[in-house]
Amino acid sequence: MKNNISALMDGELFEDETEALFNGLKRDSEAHRDWAAYHLIGDVLRQPEYIHRDISGRVRELMQREPTVLAPRIRGITQKVRNVALSAAASLMALGVVAWMSVQITPETNPQLAMQQTNTRPVSLQTQSKSNDYIMAHQEFSPSNDMNGGASYIRTVSYGSEEKPQ
Amino acid sequence: MADREVDQQLVERVQRGDKHAFDLLVAKYQRRLGRLISRFVRDPGEAEDVTQDAFIKAYRALPGFRGESAFYTWLYRIGINTAKNHLLANKRRPPTSTLFDAEESESFEDAGLLQEVSTPENELMSKQVVDVVQSSLQQLPEDLRSALTLREIEGLSYEEIASVMNCPVGTVRSRIFRAREAIAENLRPLLETSKGNRW
Repeated sequence: MKNNISALMDGELFEDETEALFNGLKRDSEAHRDWAAYHLIGDVLRQPEYIHRDISGRVRELMQREPTVLAPRIRGITQKVRNVALSAAASLMALGVVAWMSVQITPETNPQLAMQQTNTRPVSLQTQSKSNDYIMAHQEFSPSNDMNGGASYIRTVSYGSEEKPQ
Repeated sequence: MADREVDQQLVERVQRGDKHAFDLLVAKYQRRLGRLISRFVRDPGEAEDVTQDAFIKAYRALPGFRGESAFYTWLYRIGINTAKNHLLANKRRPPTSTLFDAEESESFEDAGLLQEVSTPENELMSKQVVDVVQSSLQQLPEDLRSALTLREIEGLSYEEIASVMNCPVGTVRSRIFRAREAIAENLRPLLETSKGNRW
């Protein structure tokens, strides 16, 4: 454990090891003393001009009179925010993929074909005007639109509730 | 796991009701905070009281700490405010705050500005602790002494030390630990005899 305390002080311990070490420090008063001693050594090496006496015992005594601190977990909140952000990102990505796929499926217009289409348009316009009557007459037999096929058999009726004159 | 993250983990433990985690923060930062406060409050006894007050205020305020700044930056501000309020309550003028920027809290190195806490008893004790640490350091084998010095004084990471000393990171970790433990071994009798009194 002492080895890990030393590494932790230097920021060289992994997060999962840190949690276990903090639990150990809580149980083991010797380990707590090592933590304090290692920090004292560091402070002496950096600032030998000023070393004051240990006040941690007095602070601990004062803290016993204080109510225990309980605060909402920051990590819980950030976790929720992270989850929402991840869901939003996943949705956006899915939309992007669908959009990309639809672009890929749509056949590219060949310039020559496009020219042909523009050339044939006047012809189709001419034939369209002639065939309008034919299409209107046979629309009910169109397989592509069942409602339209049945719509020709629907008659609009009205109902009046007027009394007959006697 | 960086130092700031270690502090944040300790803070979160305190916020979940673990008072012991706050003890660890006190052990870590008491001298840095004490040095800071002694620049405002010249009397050593008063400076200690103010340092204690600052820690208690920090403990009470911890539910509101959200980790936007480093824990020590936050504690530093509490320390300065507590010291200033102490001086105002005693009708003394605090020093100008321009000397004490929050950024300074991250690298508090200007020993020249420090006010020496000088009761005879405290001076003797401080001198003994410093002597033991420094003489123990000198007695260490060269590789342990270099590793610890590069870490504690130069502030290099394990990787950087490994590069300087031309050895694996695992060896650096081991050397630093052995160096600390050797010094602590010599320091323990002194700390034990003064338990509950000075250290």
